[in-house]
Amino acid sequence: MAARRNPSSITSFGSAQTVHQSICRSCSHTIRRRYASTAAAVAEQPTSEAPAPQEAHQLLAGVILSRPPQITRDLHPFEKAFFLYQKRLNERLALPFTRYLYYKKKTPNLLDFRKKLDQRKTPARDIGNYSAYSEHAWHDEPMVGAVEGEIEDVKEKLLTDEQPFPEDEDLDQVVAMEEKVIPDAPMPRTTEADKAGDEKSLNRLLQRTLYLLVKDGKGNWRFPSAPWDGVKKETLRESAERIIRQSAGINMHTWIVSNHPVGHFERPYGQNYITTNEAGATVKGEVTFFMKGRIMMGQADIKESELGVSDFKWLPKESIKEHVHPKYWASVDDILPSR
Amino acid sequence: MTTIRHTHMLFSSIRNHSGKQLTQNASFSTTTIALARSKGPSKHDKRIGLLQQHLWHPLTPRPLRLSRLRQLRHWTINEAWKIFTAKRAHQQRLELMKQWQAMQAACERLRVLGDDGVVGGANTGRLYRQSLDKDGIWAGAPIEYARTLTDWPSKKGWNHEWKRRVVKARS
Repeated sequence: MAARRNPSSITSFGSAQTVHQSICRSCSHTIRRRYASTAAAVAEQPTSEAPAPQEAHQLLAGVILSRPPQITRDLHPFEKAFFLYQKRLNERLALPFTRYLYYKKKTPNLLDFRKKLDQRKTPARDIGNYSAYSEHAWHDEPMVGAVEGEIEDVKEKLLTDEQPFPEDEDLDQVVAMEEKVIPDAPMPRTTEADKAGDEKSLNRLLQRTLYLLVKDGKGNWRFPSAPWDGVKKETLRESAERIIRQSAGINMHTWIVSNHPVGHFERPYGQNYITTNEAGATVKGEVTFFMKGRIMMGQADIKESELGVSDFKWLPKESIKEHVHPKYWASVDDILPSR
Repeated sequence: MTTIRHTHMLFSSIRNHSGKQLTQNASFSTTTIALARSKGPSKHDKRIGLLQQHLWHPLTPRPLRLSRLRQLRHWTINEAWKIFTAKRAHQQRLELMKQWQAMQAACERLRVLGDDGVVGGANTGRLYRQSLDKDGIWAGAPIEYARTLTDWPSKKGWNHEWKRRVVKARS
């Protein structure tokens, strides 16, 4: 056993190894590493008789509470053009539409379908007027600045298709089509809150993730955070749930995604703010461990905030950068997804 | 000769257990003669016919004819698309890598800290071990978390008015 071990570790931590020879290799490795960290801390101490006070950090828990995107993202212009291109190529490869499989003969619906088909030349409703069976089948590339493929245009085409053909004079057909349930137009992708620039609303920037940012008692913008409760010995997840409740009220339907932190922020205290805690250790700064949370329903309410929160905002990633301290931003930048 | 006669006997006449000779009267088809002879309406399902017409259409397979320049343009478009998607995938990978590293750094920081905030202090790594506990992490996952992205937002929009139902403790 001893011959296979790293000789340098034997010289440094020989005593630790003699103690833990009866345990497995990975455990002994862990213990060796732990001894190494404490040994490094010991090595830094001056060789005077009185031991220097230990350095401590205050533990904080923070919550990155986010509202997930609600709708699909806007496509890149190249993506739009490429998808339309692919759809039209598919139209060139596809066999003729089997209309009698979908519409019974001599029915108003078939009549309606035929008239619309004559107009747009293809059964596909979202690729514009293009026929893959005519002599102009080669002309499948849309011109520069064409609206085909835009999501708004597709929406219009689909809605128009639901309406009965306008020039219909056939009474039977009109009656039959009147019974058809015509769907309403969908809601717009940009909302009233977007136009108003309401940063407290959760009904805006539906394509993006919004993060809850609060203004603390000192007037600094940050994610909701508070000291970890060492008396109750709570887990970080419990801390996160408590912090949401204490800073922004109970009327938010939230979920903490994981038990472990997704990032951390270290803040050293200035010389005048270094204190000594009850155990005699010097508190040199604070470490905030961020937990990831999601909001499903509800809204923040800071009226009865126990953590002295004076304001809140729901912001996308790039707006957070403008609100927080650059060093704070440096440590949360990597945690937040760009979308 | 005996063997040939024997096989001939096997095919022409099969005897059952009682020794009575059995002869074959019907053809190998299982269709009854009466059904085949009837002049009534066809039992053929039109929907099946339509599906067959679609599957084995005379135009199958449809040719995609592209001129030389058009073919070149098609190749260029596809190369551009490949570069575009590769770049995007690279960006996404980088972003995930950053997130993973931030998570790993935080967990490592937590691992060496004691409850008192001292490196290697009291109960070193206790919070870390609790954090890595995976027991029941999906127990409280709300059903709303399974909502997918849609092209168009809902009519009602975000539910700002949601209130938590407060259950009073029994005294």
